[in-house]
Amino acid sequence: MGVNMIISGLLSIMKYSTRKMLFSKRWVIVLLIIILVGAIMGYAGSLEGDRLQGGTDLMDILILFFIMPVIAMIYGASLIRNEIDDKSITQVITSPLPRPISYIGYYISLVISLSMIMVLINSVGWLAFFGQQGMGDGAGSILLIMMALGVIGSIVYSSLFLVSSVIFKRPMYIGLFYAFIWEGFIGSIPGAISKYTLKHFIRSIGSSWLDFGEISLYDGASAGTAFGVLIGITVICLAVGAFLFREKEYP
Amino acid sequence: MSGPPASTQFHPDGKPSPLPTPETKQSVIHARGLSKWYGNIIGLNGFNVDITEGITGIVGPNGSGKSTLFKLIVGTIKSNAGNLLVNGKRPWGNTEQLKDIGFCPDYEFLPLDMTGRQYLQFLGGLHAIEKTALSQRIVEVSGIVGMTNELDRKMNGYSKGMKQRLKIAGALLHKPRLLLLDEPLSGLDPIARRDLIELTKSLHYNHGHNIIVSSHILHEIERMTHNVVLIYKGRAVASGEITEIRNLIDKHPHNIIVEGRGVSDLAKKLLDMEYAVSVGFNESRESITVKVTRPDDFFNTLPELLEITDCEIEKMYSLDDNLESIFKYLVGW
Repeated sequence: MGVNMIISGLLSIMKYSTRKMLFSKRWVIVLLIIILVGAIMGYAGSLEGDRLQGGTDLMDILILFFIMPVIAMIYGASLIRNEIDDKSITQVITSPLPRPISYIGYYISLVISLSMIMVLINSVGWLAFFGQQGMGDGAGSILLIMMALGVIGSIVYSSLFLVSSVIFKRPMYIGLFYAFIWEGFIGSIPGAISKYTLKHFIRSIGSSWLDFGEISLYDGASAGTAFGVLIGITVICLAVGAFLFREKEYP
Repeated sequence: MSGPPASTQFHPDGKPSPLPTPETKQSVIHARGLSKWYGNIIGLNGFNVDITEGITGIVGPNGSGKSTLFKLIVGTIKSNAGNLLVNGKRPWGNTEQLKDIGFCPDYEFLPLDMTGRQYLQFLGGLHAIEKTALSQRIVEVSGIVGMTNELDRKMNGYSKGMKQRLKIAGALLHKPRLLLLDEPLSGLDPIARRDLIELTKSLHYNHGHNIIVSSHILHEIERMTHNVVLIYKGRAVASGEITEIRNLIDKHPHNIIVEGRGVSDLAKKLLDMEYAVSVGFNESRESITVKVTRPDDFFNTLPELLEITDCEIEKMYSLDDNLESIFKYLVGW
């Protein structure tokens, strides 16, 4: 199996899947979420308060830790599962590309799509809020850091939800449980248990980067530890997913 | 119902006699005791076959295991027992050998929001065909399948026949030695069927592809090749020259229902005919079941008998038209 084959196959899957995700009917959901974020942050921006603190808190709670896992779940849990169900996976699994490489192709396209969506949602929310409150010092760095955290979250959540779509026949239910109950509810409970969520580690990185809002005061792991844990989880999920994707039968 | 006469081509125990092929022909598919089941459902059951170069038809009723065989050949599923060699190699987990196989499944899977060209470009990428070569190859294969003028249209506007052609174009794109066509004629109108039959023949005779094509209709396969494997309930029940299998089938007594006015007179006359095994009335006095050994003779003499008896037929059909009954006969069940 030549390098040329792998690169060509990866690019082909990435192009095809990214196009499929970004131009699917799920855009309606994304559009509704963008409108919701724009409305909430636009309204908040019209009220008086600490500009940098308020803007950071809203982007932190609303976008990064509520919307991101939900969108990652919607896209990640359905990407491969939908192709298995509608049998369009046939074209990939009957090509000479090794299946683990195909899996990585799906993963990269998921990360690209989610990152683009997160950048878009962050930008809309940021503009809606700071457009009224005034840009000034610090606003630009808040946007960049939130975008970076969104990309890091996309990388980790994609690996997790993609592997669930290979393991489970109805990954959306598992995804809903994880996104809302585990990340949303358990992750908000004070105490040690909240440390067993991805949110905890992403927030730990955010606390070392941001100087505003509650996230900057978050008492989490060091940035280095958080990065290490997130990379570890991503690699494990990818390895398990690629292995299962290779061994899976597609009747 | 008694089984067919002994024949070297007939193997109800699943053990095939070798196909009568010249020694120069290489083995394409070699299966011994191949079994695949999905829970309690049997896909293939001790399936034995040897397929060599050329066009080979796999004929069997729906659910007989044709698609399961194809999926095992391309390695999308794993056998539970037995051995399978495709071009001399085991298919499961061997993605490398998919360079040599083109697969056109019986189900719909095309991304309909893409144009035909975009779809073929995507497939070309999966097979690492270089950009310029891919553009040329797309022109070639679209010409072969007769889709040159439709390539830049979105596939959701394609007819069933066009989709089938594009699926075949996709399977041909990387110049595979072996082409698998699973029920390619299914759901097509008669003209599209005729064209695809010609295309299949051309793909072998003019372009050199070995082809395995499946269908549940024997006479359609007959128009593509004389080399067939009959598959029933997951077993290869006969293989070889289609004429010999045809002979086996023709010796099978056929049941023909005849309905209309004056069929009782027709029944009397039919009893005198050599080919008629029995004639019986059904629930109505205007409906009879005729059991014949030579259906062709029955249909040839029928107009004359109708004239003599003044019978007016309203409806006539064969109970044995479905492949299921023929296969039951062949395996003696």
